[in-house]
Amino acid sequence: MIYLDYSATTPIGFEVLDTYNRTSKDFFGNPNSLHELGTKARNLMNSATKQIAEIFNIQDTEITYTNGATASNNLALIGIAMKYHQKGKHIIVSKLEHPSIYAICDYLSSIGFEISYVNNDHEGLIDFDDLKNLIREDTILVSICAVNSETGVRQPLKMIRQIIKKENPNTIIHSDMTQGVGKVSVNLHDVDLATFTSHKIYGPKGIGLLYKNNNINITPILYGSGKSNILNPGTPPVPLIVAFSKALRLATVDLEKRERFVERLNQKIVDALSKYEGVMINKTKYSIPHILNISLRNIKSETFLHALEEYEVYLSTNTACSSGNTSTSIMAIYDDKVRASSTLRISLSHLTTTDEINKFINYFDQIYRKLSGLHNTNE
Amino acid sequence: MEKVILIKYGELSTKKANINYFLAKLKDNILIALKDYDVKIEYDLGRMFIHTNDFSNVLKVIQNIFGIHEFCIAYLIKSIEFKEVTKNIINLLKETTFKTFKVETKRSNKKINNTSVELSKMLGGEILKNIPNLKVDVNNPDLLLNVEYRLNNTLIYYETLPGLGGYPVGTLGKGLLMLSGGIDSPVAGYLAIKRGVKLEAIYFESPPHTSNEAKNKVFKLSRKLALYNNDINVHIINFTAIQEAIYKNIPHEYLITIMRRMMYRISAIIANRRNCKVLINGESIGQVASQTLTSMSAINEAVKIPVIRPVACFDKLEIIEIAKQIDTYETSILPYEDCCTIFVPKHPVINPDLKKCLEYEKLIPYEELIYNAIKNHEIIKITKEEINEYSDLL
Repeated sequence: MIYLDYSATTPIGFEVLDTYNRTSKDFFGNPNSLHELGTKARNLMNSATKQIAEIFNIQDTEITYTNGATASNNLALIGIAMKYHQKGKHIIVSKLEHPSIYAICDYLSSIGFEISYVNNDHEGLIDFDDLKNLIREDTILVSICAVNSETGVRQPLKMIRQIIKKENPNTIIHSDMTQGVGKVSVNLHDVDLATFTSHKIYGPKGIGLLYKNNNINITPILYGSGKSNILNPGTPPVPLIVAFSKALRLATVDLEKRERFVERLNQKIVDALSKYEGVMINKTKYSIPHILNISLRNIKSETFLHALEEYEVYLSTNTACSSGNTSTSIMAIYDDKVRASSTLRISLSHLTTTDEINKFINYFDQIYRKLSGLHNTNE
Repeated sequence: MEKVILIKYGELSTKKANINYFLAKLKDNILIALKDYDVKIEYDLGRMFIHTNDFSNVLKVIQNIFGIHEFCIAYLIKSIEFKEVTKNIINLLKETTFKTFKVETKRSNKKINNTSVELSKMLGGEILKNIPNLKVDVNNPDLLLNVEYRLNNTLIYYETLPGLGGYPVGTLGKGLLMLSGGIDSPVAGYLAIKRGVKLEAIYFESPPHTSNEAKNKVFKLSRKLALYNNDINVHIINFTAIQEAIYKNIPHEYLITIMRRMMYRISAIIANRRNCKVLINGESIGQVASQTLTSMSAINEAVKIPVIRPVACFDKLEIIEIAKQIDTYETSILPYEDCCTIFVPKHPVINPDLKKCLEYEKLIPYEELIYNAIKNHEIIKITKEEINEYSDLL
């Protein structure tokens, strides 16, 4: 098997799974219980949270666990909208967001919020002038992802923060950092709220978190009992939390070294695929090396995906979460419908080997020769 | 030229006949605190030097050691020749940013012909000649350059940091701290350590009325004190039987008074066994009913051992300030029941009568209860290192 879909999800790390299993077995107490088993589970959970806070250089009280990135995005956007609707109903998002952000925005729009979509340039970078112009007195929130999930374009959040806060110091900034963490360094102090999920960093599925700066208040969207966090009531999933913490620790060591390695793999693919007339490389100077997007001129990407599957090679057409549609991100960057309608996303990891990439290039060649000419997406 | 850490003693230097004892203890304490680092220590009556390659970590540890008045990075030049010394100093200062300076010279080597004042002037002149755009400012210089001509070498330094002061831990013997988990007793302990007292601690628990969490809180506080105390032994006394006997048999307005008298008695026995010369606690005059002067007097009567109350005359806010400084405050305010907060009478006596105390005490077989509590007591050594028991999972 050659797995090249690490941006869709990652295999759980062996040590992380071991932590999950042992925590499930030895720390099964409800962390809300007063007795010793509860205390044990709570102390372990608190240590795990403290570790995450230290890694991100934030307070442990600024962490709310959720069941993943979509839940974190919901809590952030709806929580802010509900809290600040009396101050304004204007929200700005980029055109490079994860589909879940657009789904939430559609909902907020249906209940009276106004959503603006900030432009980006042809390198994928947020158009700073457009952003400046869009911000108004009633802009309560701007949400811009750290790294775009389809093209890997990374946004300069520090600069974006400066622009936003200069125009309106009350505007709150949220960033979906799901595709950034564990691949490149992320700075939570560039934003007020940030979304993370565990399964993209070799952690278990079903656990994510929302960072919320302690100076910001949001309205809960879930109500219940439990003492650990008012924003996420109920019994905390201790094994998931502890495993998430461990995965995060393991994913954030040697970041630069791993990034350089992945960059070499990425370049190898780019060099090989650039030779084909029918392949367009959707890589800008702001793309991180872990995500490589290409468009096929005359072959349906889905056909290509299934052909690769025959060789046990796994990757995505645009993103796993929006497969089947025209890629909004490619459209936003290249404004080219043909290019946006047949994309493949190759996502790499430090676990990917050079041998895997050589084989992939070889299979790609065989399939390309076979399929080119048979299909024409322009028909 | 060798880079070293220089330690100045301050108050210690007022000790005359005993100074060697104090300095040897200080050296031992520093070596224990730095046991994880590769260091060598040498000292004389005026100065102590730490030779190491790990300056940033060693400096961090030094900050928490009592008996150090000031410390700094210093440079030892293996020469007392003016030219050689000057050359080294100028090279060093060229890498430092400052606009005004002053030179202060000491000359313990009286074989050098020039006086200290002359040496300062000569050196100042050389510095002005060799580094552009500098001025001398004798009143408020950016950089105060200290130069000490010693027997075979010259010591220079220009940036000193304040140490914790006080006496080296252990130089004044041992004391037993009555540690409750509140805000005051850790501060009292810290202040006693500062005066050279090596602490042991005693904690009274009343399971199931008090929880394991309350005990863990005390361990956490002990860990903070262990930082200054070179580890700390904590004596855990199961107080349940005594407390229940008091509650059942003694008029409730005297609950706290009698309970405190029992705690004092147990503490005095433990102190005696462990060679602790005094009891130390966090009582503060007037803070609660058991801390009025009459109460303190009635309670204190139960023991002969001296009781030191370092925060007796501090306002609560002053105590809190120190608690924050030593990082015990956040732990102290965690809301767990301790021995003194369970079984609190509605109207505790403010001016207890000693005669009544003695009379009421006869209502319970306290000597036997105390004997049992001490017989079964547990001693736990708390180190300054936070042990993360979950590290293999995380």
